[in-house]
Amino acid sequence: MNFSITAVIGEILSGSGYAALLQEPKTIIMILIAFLLLYMGIGKKFEPLLLVPIAFGMLLANLPNSGIAIISEEGHRGLLKIFALGIENEVYPPLIFMGVGAMTDFGPLIARPSSLILGAAAQFGIFTAFLGSMLLCGFPVNVAAAIGIIGGADGPTAILVTSRLAAEYLPAISIAAYSYMALIPMIQPPIMKAFTRKKDREIKMMQLRPVSKTEKIIFPIAVATVVILLLPDTAPLIGMLMLGNLFKESGVTDRLSDVAQNALCNVLSILLGLSVGSMAVAETFLTLQTIMIIAMGLIAFCLSTFGGVIFGNIMCWVTKGKINPLIGSAGVSAVPMAARVAQQVGQKENPSNFLLMHAMGPNVAGVIGSAVAAGFFLTLVPMLL
Amino acid sequence: MGEYSVLGVGESLLIALSGFLTVFCMLLFLILIIKIISFAVTKIEGTGKAAASAAPAPSSAPAAPAAKAEEKPAKPWDGKLQLIDCDEETAACIMAIISDETDIPLDELQFRRIAAL
Repeated sequence: MNFSITAVIGEILSGSGYAALLQEPKTIIMILIAFLLLYMGIGKKFEPLLLVPIAFGMLLANLPNSGIAIISEEGHRGLLKIFALGIENEVYPPLIFMGVGAMTDFGPLIARPSSLILGAAAQFGIFTAFLGSMLLCGFPVNVAAAIGIIGGADGPTAILVTSRLAAEYLPAISIAAYSYMALIPMIQPPIMKAFTRKKDREIKMMQLRPVSKTEKIIFPIAVATVVILLLPDTAPLIGMLMLGNLFKESGVTDRLSDVAQNALCNVLSILLGLSVGSMAVAETFLTLQTIMIIAMGLIAFCLSTFGGVIFGNIMCWVTKGKINPLIGSAGVSAVPMAARVAQQVGQKENPSNFLLMHAMGPNVAGVIGSAVAAGFFLTLVPMLL
Repeated sequence: MGEYSVLGVGESLLIALSGFLTVFCMLLFLILIIKIISFAVTKIEGTGKAAASAAPAPSSAPAAPAAKAEEKPAKPWDGKLQLIDCDEETAACIMAIISDETDIPLDELQFRRIAAL
């Protein structure tokens, strides 16, 4: 047997990821995108809890020959492909919703139920982007529905709808959804200022009435029953959201509430982020459709903010100036970032203004609204097949 | 499994409109549900409280506080925070500190009057 050290080194190098990178230059672009997302998450702190695992999953999946994000010919699943089972089987998004429910205080919504109108109005972007995706970009109805849901500014909902209706677009849609959620402090204020009057932005709202413990306990049970009976497809999202909230409010399941809010939510964020990132590979991600999805997602987001603000103005007018229209923008459901933005913009106009608790009402209403919109698409779209 | 198609303008508009209306109707229905819950809970808890206060007070209870209470008839609260010799920024700070110290969220606290002593 002839043994040559140069032949062995040559064999190792030709079988390494470096050689494969040279053969597939598109993969290099994906790796650079992963680096960019890591920079945005770590350097710019844009939604780091999700962007960092997503970006790292993307990086691992695009390092050639690792086999970490594929199913081999022998049927062996790579680690990230095993994690992705949680998305393919729609496990992670509802469980994250349970954590969100356990962290959410529906008190401001119960104290001012009219906030729900703002939460509904801020779903405007979902349906206009759905229209635009079909009529302007030529996407089929299932993809258009998944793109529209980006306007709900609700990551788990977007992932659930997309994984069921248009799984091949999951990386693009989830990355767009989480990126825009991170960019809320930049996207929303110009729209809020453009469509409200200065004197309305200065409005100070009355303190909310105190909400009794009993109301807070009955609320999740009633909402789950009423909404799921009408739209059964919302059961995974609304069901888990309300269960998480019941853990929090019942006062007898503190340990479960604590797990749902912290440990479970953190574990799921890691698994979800890595799984989503691992799906972003060059063949499906570096396409014209991805650019169109990202553009339509931004439009959906802006229009949702617009819808909320316009209805905020209407409510301001109807209540003769008792509602500050800025809180309408919080209806886009990114909890609690959107409410914080309403607070910040309001306080800039009037330093003694504290809109945070008032904006939390539309904010949590938006979570319910986007779940209902998701349920609508999940019910309707399969009928159009 | 078949493939989804791009829908026409009319059909797309109809779906978008019906979706938006569904969300609105659902959330309007929830407003009604919340109002009913709040009404029922207020009634039940109000009846409970009334029953408790209607129960005979212990005979050893001092009479003076009761007389004092009578001096100030309960005025319905208009929902506005009354500030006395206290600017709004200080009041906001006080509210935030109380919420933080007591670990009670701001929406569960009710501030009716903040006065400088």
